[in-house]
This record gives sequence, C-alpha cells and structure tokens, in this order.
Amino acid sequence: MPELFMRMMKEEWRMHSTIFGHVSFALFPFMIFGISFMGSFLLPHLRQALPVGDMALATHVMFLVLGAMVGGFGLMGNEMMNRRFGQASLLAYSARSLPLSGKFIFANFVVKDTVYYFFLWVLPFGAGYIAAAPFTGAPFSSALLLLFTLALAFMAGLCTVFLLSSVYVRSRAVCGVMVIAGGFLLLASFLSTGPTLALLFPPYMLYSGFSWGMLLLSCAILAAMFALSILLFSPDETGTTRVHGDLYRPLVKRGTFLQQSPLVAKDLIDLYRSGIGIGQALFSFAIPLVVIWFFLSLAGSFLPPHGLILLFAMISGVIGSTMYTWVTEFDSFGPYACLPVSVSTLIQSKITTCALLQVLPASFIAITAVLSGNSADLIPAVALCVSFSFYASGVMAYLCGLSPSVLVYDVKVLFTYLVFDGAVFAIFSAVSLAHPLYAISSVLLFFPGWLFVKAAMRRWDAVDPAGL
Amino acid sequence: MSVVLEVSGLSKVYGDVTALDRVSLSVEEGSLFGLLGPNGSGKTTMIKVLTGQIRPTGGSAMVLGLDSEHEGLRIRERVGIIPEQESPPSFLTSMEYLEFVGAVRKIPDIRERADEWFDYLEFGDKKNVLCKDLSRGTRQKLMFAQAFIHEPALALIDEPLINFDPIMQDLVKDYLKDYVKSGKTIFLSTHILEVAEEICSSFAVLHRGRLLHSGPVADLAEKGVHLSGFFLSLVRKGGHA
Repeated sequence: MPELFMRMMKEEWRMHSTIFGHVSFALFPFMIFGISFMGSFLLPHLRQALPVGDMALATHVMFLVLGAMVGGFGLMGNEMMNRRFGQASLLAYSARSLPLSGKFIFANFVVKDTVYYFFLWVLPFGAGYIAAAPFTGAPFSSALLLLFTLALAFMAGLCTVFLLSSVYVRSRAVCGVMVIAGGFLLLASFLSTGPTLALLFPPYMLYSGFSWGMLLLSCAILAAMFALSILLFSPDETGTTRVHGDLYRPLVKRGTFLQQSPLVAKDLIDLYRSGIGIGQALFSFAIPLVVIWFFLSLAGSFLPPHGLILLFAMISGVIGSTMYTWVTEFDSFGPYACLPVSVSTLIQSKITTCALLQVLPASFIAITAVLSGNSADLIPAVALCVSFSFYASGVMAYLCGLSPSVLVYDVKVLFTYLVFDGAVFAIFSAVSLAHPLYAISSVLLFFPGWLFVKAAMRRWDAVDPAGL
Repeated sequence: MSVVLEVSGLSKVYGDVTALDRVSLSVEEGSLFGLLGPNGSGKTTMIKVLTGQIRPTGGSAMVLGLDSEHEGLRIRERVGIIPEQESPPSFLTSMEYLEFVGAVRKIPDIRERADEWFDYLEFGDKKNVLCKDLSRGTRQKLMFAQAFIHEPALALIDEPLINFDPIMQDLVKDYLKDYVKSGKTIFLSTHILEVAEEICSSFAVLHRGRLLHSGPVADLAEKGVHLSGFFLSLVRKGGHA
C-alpha cells in the first residue's frame, strides 16, 4: 500500500509539473496561501455585510464543491493523459498489468487524491488564515479547527463523487435516481425551510460548535462513503463494442452556417458521448450556481432590489465561460496535426462551440430571473451573463490557448485571468447596481472579448503546439 | 524526375536536446523514400518539421515547393500524414472520423471513399464502433485510411506497419508499391529494416539527429550488401563518433 500510494503521489506531481513546469506549479500552494492570508484581513469589513456564520458556511461549501470537482477530474485522468501525452496511462488504470486488485488500486487512488489535494488546496488556504490570525484577532484554536473542518468538507465532496462514480459504473439508472432524488431533496428543503439543511452539513456544524460526538459523526459518514465507494467499485468492462448511429453528418449539415462546422460538430459529439457534457453541466455549472445563488441571496438585504439577480448573472457568465474548458478537455493539438488545421482554427472552433453552449447559462439565468420574481430584469441579466461569458472565454483562450484546464494551475496565468475578469466584474457591478438598464451596456464586452480571441489565435499560432 | 522534398541544414533543438542536427536530403517524385534510424534518432521530429507541425530551429525544408516553416497548413492540405502515436478521436465512430477528415479536407464523395477503404483494409464491421473501442490494429487501419483517402501527391508516414498482422502488412506494402508506381511519392519513417529493404527505392539513415547516409537502395544491392548489415555498421560507427 505505501509503495503504490507514494508512486501515485509522484505520478500526480509529475503529471502536473510536466505540463507547466516544476517551479510554476510548486508556487501554486503559495499563491493560495497568499490569497487566504490577504483575504483574512478583509474579514472584519465583510462581517459588516455578512454574518460570520454565513461566511464560514460559504467557505465550507466552496471546499465541498472543490472536492467534487477534483474527484471528477481524477476519474477522467486517464482519458486526459492519453489526449495530452499520447499513449500514456496512470497507475490507477493498471489493474490488468499489476498483480493487484482493482479495488486495492482504487483505494490507493482515493487516498492519494485526498492527501495530494489537501496539500495543494486545503492546507495552504487554512495555513493562510492561521498565519493571519494574530493580526486579525481570530482565535488560534478556531483557525486550526477551520483547517480541519475544511479538510472534512473537501473530503465530503471528493467521496460523494467517488461514490456516485462507483454506482454509475454498476448502474447508470440507480446513479441517476440518486442524483435526481438528492437534488430534489435539497431543493424541497430549501424552498420549505430556507438554508436550514445547509446548516446541518456536518463539517460546518463541527466548526460552529465543536463536540466530540459531531467529530465522530463527521468522520463516520466520510469513512462509510469511502468504504462504500471502494466496495461498490468495479472496473469498466472492456471488450464491449457498442455500435453507434452516424451523428456527425447530420450535425455538420445543420451547422453549415458556422465557419468551423466540421470541428464544432466533433466537439458536440465528444461532449455528448463522453458524458462530460452532462457531468460538467451538473457538477461544474448547475450545482455551483445553485450554491452561489443560495449564498448570494443571504446578502440580498444589503443590495438594491435588482442587485441580486444582476450580480448572479455576472457570476453565471464567468462560470459559463468555463465551458471553454469543457470543449478543450479532451483535445490537444495532436489528433489534428495530420490534418490541414492550425491552432488558431481550433481555438476559433472551440470558441464557437462554447458560444453555442451559452444557451445553457442564458436559459438558466432567464429561468432564475423569472422564478425569483425579477422578470423585469430578465433582459439586462441575460445580456450581462452572455457578455461576461464571451469576454471571460476570450481572456481564457488568450491566456491558455487549448489548455485551460491545466494552465489554471500556473500562478501567472491564474493571476492574470483573475485581474482581467476581476476588473471588469468590479466595473459592471457598480454600473449594474446603479441602474438595471445600465447592465445592458455590458454587450460592449463583446468587443474586447473578440479582440482577446483574435489575439489568442495569433499568439498560439506562433508557438509550437502543446501535445505534440 | 523533379524533387518533391528538399531539406537543407535542418536543425531542431528541444531545450538541451538536439533532435535534428543540420540534416540535408532530397526526395524525388515517384519514389518510396525510407528514413531509417534507431528509436530516438529524430525520425518523428523530421516528419513534424516537414509537415509544419513544429518549427525548425535552423535550416529549411521545402515540401511540394512550400516552405514548411511558414506554409505548414498548405503543406498539410496537400500531403497525407500518419503520425507515429496519435489515435483517432475517442468518441467518433470509424465512419464518423473519416467523414470528419473528409469535411476538413473538403472531399465531396467521402462516404464512397470511406466505404472503399473499409472494404480494402477489411474492417467494415467496425465502421460504427467508437474509435476508443477499436483495437490498436484497427485504429492503425483507420489512420492509414485517413492519410490516403484524398490521394495526396506525397504521403509522410511514420511506422505505418507497426500494429498490423503479417497479412495486413503484406496488403499495405503492396498498396504502397502501387501508389508510387502511379507517380506519387511516399516518405516512410521506420526502424523495420526488412520492410525498408523490400519496398523503398532510396533511403537515408538518421542517428542521434545526424544524417549518416543517403542514397538509392539499389546501390547496396549492386555491392551485395544487405540494408540491415549496412545500417547496423553505420549506426555503430556513428554511435562512437
């Protein structure tokens, strides 16, 4: 066990450091530390607008979502490795070549992901808060406890995804029922009792009132979920060759009005058949946005009547722009290198696919506006969401080319992305809060967004493509 | 015979590794040219530079009269390429992949051509199977088909036979021989010397990025020397250089 675990740790480190350099990647936890440390000094100001408990709950849920995203990424690792490095594989997928059982390897994989990402994300964040405690007046014991409970929240997200994936491999129907039932329960609870259910999230309960009983309960729930996901784990069956109907030709025909319809059609099929489209729509879009809406609504009383929906629209736009990572997830330039396709053509096609997918955030924000009684602000909200999304996608394409999901760990890239998006976010927050109709001016963002896309095409054409 | 590929002082350096070191060679139209070399000798890098996938560090390469450094896209329009490692996209079926290639290359009768290839390489039963579910051999057949489906004037193929069984290897070798008879050119990169000796009209030997030899295969036969023996002695000498 220790040997396989250590090798998996090394493998994970090498995978990341190979992609964007040892130093750059090694700096990532320091950046998280810095953000957390500096952010701690803002807490006294934030407390005037938001109760302490709400902030703590938001942080815990943020780490729950992070755990879920890391888990999902881990499970797709092999496919991504193959796309990035050609014929490559991970130890997690070596049950057929090693004299070790699939369950044993999976157990190591789960532990490795937990430990590795604890050091990458959770520890630096918690350490930043602890380091700032003497200056901010936060009790040291409370800061230490936060680190521990955030780790629990992170693990809760991780093992939820592992459990769902184990169930998914055995029965898609059961997994679907679990997800729908869970979502329905959460929604029903929220509609009837407000945020009460979220307050029962064990890591948060442990933080807000430490007790040994709650500690035991939190650990027991996690242990049960880990154990269950490992017990239920069964490797993908190989050798089955399902036959599929031709989706490609009809899609290309329907998209002839698009400049890159042959490439866009391929992207859409990739999203559909890989399951990434549905998985990402759920875990990287709908769930985070529902969580964000919940926490944003806590601040509703501090905002003008239209403020909540318009701020939410901007955040939805930024999250919607991450669809650019969905469509680039499986593609390096490699598979296209034998065809008359340039990197710039690929970027253009990915942006086009991403633009088509904006139907999802646009519809989402429109429905939210109607359901939350903000129908009057529907048009400004949709304009904000779509404009932000296009702008942020353009920034992402410029900074990361075809590798946004890996370059996000490059400190320089992430910092620049946050500055570009943050500045625009600040400007349009002020504009939108002043008057809802002013938010329509966000369509101006299409122009810099378009410039970023053009610059991305020039920039990434000028370097040897990654993945070759 | 006109020259379809001319390489002059070509170099490619990755960090502190010199993958190609001032290589010069030329390939005539209608020939089956073999680029031979041990693993890691720079053969794959050479194909990537020739097809404009990566830029050279020094020197130049003209392919079908086009400069590979600045006109890579136009070169890839006109040539066929079998990359060494790449697989077809996971979530397209075999037929969809060839349709995709046809759409990108603007081949109007792509389905008819694809069906011909499914028949010729005997994998018609896999045309509606996702590429990720195909065996390595079948993926190689698909990559072979995509490289030749538009009947390019020049095909640059990297270890095209490596995943094929002996029967399929024979079929493919016959295809390549017929292809050059029709006046087209093939640039074959391989370390399988028997194949090169059997089908190539001329060859070059690359070792540690340096060109050790270039010339017609027939010259060796005239001297009663086998390609494998010649290659091994050359590489061993080159290795000690």
